[in-house]
Amino acid sequence: MSRRRPLLAVLGAGAGIAAGVAASRWLDVVEVHGSSMTPSLLPGDRLVVECRSFSLRAPRAGEVVLAADPRESGRELIKRVFAVSEAGDVADLRGDAPDESTDSREFGAVPLSEIRWRAALRYWPPQRVGRL
Amino acid sequence: MLSLRTILRPTRRVHAHCDVPCGVYDPEQARIEAESCYRIIEKYHASTDELFRQRCVVVKEARAEETKHHIDVMWHDYFKPEHVEQYPDLHDVCWKASKAASKVKQSTDLEAAKELLGLIDRIDEMWKGTGGLAKTRLNGRPS
Repeated sequence: MSRRRPLLAVLGAGAGIAAGVAASRWLDVVEVHGSSMTPSLLPGDRLVVECRSFSLRAPRAGEVVLAADPRESGRELIKRVFAVSEAGDVADLRGDAPDESTDSREFGAVPLSEIRWRAALRYWPPQRVGRL
Repeated sequence: MLSLRTILRPTRRVHAHCDVPCGVYDPEQARIEAESCYRIIEKYHASTDELFRQRCVVVKEARAEETKHHIDVMWHDYFKPEHVEQYPDLHDVCWKASKAASKVKQSTDLEAAKELLGLIDRIDEMWKGTGGLAKTRLNGRPS
């Protein structure tokens, strides 16, 4: 019985997320590529992202966010907010693995207008399901 | 009716990106290519051999393209926003240098090649002023 509980939890969470995604334009699901967010996020991790929070407030330091790549249009980056400027117009984004990350240290601070999605939780792989 | 599998399939890829920035930069790379253009243009004007002159044009165009590439690497990859604060004309100088490289590619004008070298020297000054040698070369330049 105890061995089946995680599976049930995953299925339950999956159904809940599925309903949420289907019901809402504020949610989406994405897959992580690259390893600059190791160890928090690994390549292949699947996440639920939401764009409601940043329509109401600015991103905060520590949050994992999606941002348009300033150097390659059409590509979306996932990084952690290291700091938000005092004026509240740009954010310094960093990867959790500094030696394996191209981030604001290279391309500078990113305008908050380019940061719309917040990574809320991981739903895959099952053994690492949880909030971010 | 949407299946669970369909709904949970990621709709987009997000990149925890790393382009392995090696961190090694030196405007000398651009300077050497630009000097090569300068010398080739001199040789072009000094020669009456039509075949040699044609070769000069071909090689000079390739060198000028290389110059432009190395200028762009300095501009896009090395220089950071804080460097622009330190040198407010940084973008203008890099832009003019890139344009000058194009002009050298298109013409056999020695003055254009001279102007290009001058602009690369300006980039060199800004590179040195922002930590250049010590920060971006392994053990400084070989002496």
